[in-house]
Amino acid sequence: MHPAKARPRHISRRQIFAGGAAVSALAIPTLSQAARPVLFGLTPVFLDSDIQLIADLERYLSRFIGRSVQLVKRRTYQEITSLLVANQLDAAWICGFPFVQNREQLRLVAVPLYRQAPLYRAYIVTRAERESEGIGALRGDIHAFSDPDSNSGFLATRSLLAGLRESPATFFARTFFTFGHRNVIRAVASGLAHSGSVDGYVWDVMREIEPALVSGTRIQHVSEPMGFPPIAAARGVDPGLRAAIGEALIGMSGDPSGRTILGMLRLDGFVAGEPRLFDSIAEHWKRAQEFG
Amino acid sequence: MRAAFHPQHWPLAVRAPLIVALLMIGIAAAMSKVVLDRLARDQAQSFRQLTGAYLDGLSTALHSPVIRQEPWEAFDVLDRARHKYSGVNPRIVLVILPNDTVLAALDPATYPVGLSAPEKAREDLGEPDLADPGGRVWVHRTLREGGKQIGRIAAEIDISNIQQVRRETFWTLLGVNGALTLLFAGLGWLVVHRTLRPLLRLSTYLARAGDGRLEPIPERKLPPPDTEAGKAYRRYNAAAIAISEREALLHRLADQERRALLGRYASAIAHEVNNPLGGLFNAVRMIQRHGDDPERRDRAATLLERGLTGIRNIVRASLVVWRGDGEDRNLTSADVDDLRFLIESEAHRRELSLVWNNSLGEGAPVPAQAFRQLALNLVLNACAASPPDGRVVFDVRSDETAVFLSISDQGPGLPEEARSSLLSAGSREARSNTGLGLWIVSRILEEQSATIDIQGPPGTAITIRIPYAQPGLRHAA
Repeated sequence: MHPAKARPRHISRRQIFAGGAAVSALAIPTLSQAARPVLFGLTPVFLDSDIQLIADLERYLSRFIGRSVQLVKRRTYQEITSLLVANQLDAAWICGFPFVQNREQLRLVAVPLYRQAPLYRAYIVTRAERESEGIGALRGDIHAFSDPDSNSGFLATRSLLAGLRESPATFFARTFFTFGHRNVIRAVASGLAHSGSVDGYVWDVMREIEPALVSGTRIQHVSEPMGFPPIAAARGVDPGLRAAIGEALIGMSGDPSGRTILGMLRLDGFVAGEPRLFDSIAEHWKRAQEFG
Repeated sequence: MRAAFHPQHWPLAVRAPLIVALLMIGIAAAMSKVVLDRLARDQAQSFRQLTGAYLDGLSTALHSPVIRQEPWEAFDVLDRARHKYSGVNPRIVLVILPNDTVLAALDPATYPVGLSAPEKAREDLGEPDLADPGGRVWVHRTLREGGKQIGRIAAEIDISNIQQVRRETFWTLLGVNGALTLLFAGLGWLVVHRTLRPLLRLSTYLARAGDGRLEPIPERKLPPPDTEAGKAYRRYNAAAIAISEREALLHRLADQERRALLGRYASAIAHEVNNPLGGLFNAVRMIQRHGDDPERRDRAATLLERGLTGIRNIVRASLVVWRGDGEDRNLTSADVDDLRFLIESEAHRRELSLVWNNSLGEGAPVPAQAFRQLALNLVLNACAASPPDGRVVFDVRSDETAVFLSISDQGPGLPEEARSSLLSAGSREARSNTGLGLWIVSRILEEQSATIDIQGPPGTAITIRIPYAQPGLRHAA
């Protein structure tokens, strides 16, 4: 927002990172390890087709960390989570649900700030012209989920139905996964699905970006606030690198190109965050598991 | 009336353009059919290729989602392909599972997942009919894996643009060909009209000849002599002049014949007048000598009266016969009797017996002058042909419609030429060998619309029927 003010912070942070990296290089990693690019995983949380955003983010992180950064995309949450847990990625932007599932193997790096809070909600949406209220009206629907490892796109609805002593298989006539929140919106807007479980943040942002598509849907149910999909690192990743990535993200709001990226993401910034932010998701998981 | 509408009676200036127009219509219809058939074939081939490419693209992308029966992925494929095939305009696209339920549709709101597929989407009916009145046809593609059917794609394609092209082509052909047909018909009319104009003018002159006025075409109206029309016109003129001269000659000859006849009868009359003259003089002398004797005087007076009456009758008959043309009086019984006086002397001179039957009664509405000329010519002919002591029978009768004149003789019969000259009355042919007497008879027969019947030999028996003159009838004939 204020480049004049942001620059000193930015420079000083880079200096810190550079120093940290130098110390780390001497202490633990081999030269070859330091030479390989930092691998940063992205789940299809958001605009999976936005090539420009990915390129900008890659460039920003590379510049800030002082090492080449390569963004890694996969079709499902599962693939990214597995790569992360198996130390094949240094860090990844994952969903709160995989973070909870793999809490022991993962370390929290940063949490995005959406509307000034590290929180978001899960929506259940239906076609815009459908006149129905409450979750009960969706019984017998063809329902579109986003991903089996998505909190908002699967777990939240599973947990909600568990509260009604139902499961997706018993409550809905048919369900399918679209592997993308945008696809859930497309499926519901086109009529392929009667209703869908979608990330509230994605739905809100897409209403701005693709109003024609999103206007074909409306929100039928809104969950309570939950921890925003975080950036996590594998437990074995060098803490210096982890810290550098965290600083790069947290410093994004203080950097002009970082703010451009945040603008594209409709985010306010990143904060360090606390693992307990995701306790409510853990609760949902527990509830869903209890019901089967 | 119907005959008048027969195309044979239409003017050539109408028939020729009509034939051109019909030919053009025929050619245009044949050409249009060839063009439209070719267009239909090309469109069908293009449609097959486009829909084939569309279905090929879809089936490749849909293979995996159909095997896994994934509605979202199947829909995603259909949705992404929606605008990628600009030549194909699908209205409905269905991905159908082997149990005939919908896995995914381009319009899932109308064809939701699990819906029983519509009838037309289930069965591949082969080559689509691009003339379908609904403007939509179904195309199909079966999806197979290892020889087993795993599903199918059925798409209803909007072909209204194809049909629109056909309609536009059809109307364009119709418009252009119609305009060309009209143009050529008009040109045909113009050309034929111009070509035929001299012929039509000549035809007009020839038509006037039918009314008896064969007049040459004036010099200023003659086309140049080196043209076909010019030659024809000049030949016509030459013929018209020759015929007019021949007509004039015949009239002159007829007049001469009449005058010769007059001379002959003048001498006959003189003879007839001379015969009683001796008796009359005797009677005069008897009165002179025995005028005092009342008996002789009376006898002489009676003789005088009889002789003078005979002379008067002959004179009167001669006057009537030779009074000339122009009289339009109806025939009376007295006219027939007058003829008798003229004939009797001739019969007597030739020593013939004349049988005279006049049953005309009060007369008949036929021209007296024409009848007398006709009868006199024929009966004189009969007398001339009869051998001495022969018998000539003259008979006149009438009924409600006509006068019947019969004349028979015991001569050798009419020569063939004379017979055909009489029988061809109306042909206006004057045969040089038949004599003017019979030519005059022919003309009168024609003028009176009379019919003639000739019997013999042996002898000659001629019967003529002269219909009563009715207003308009003669002119119509």
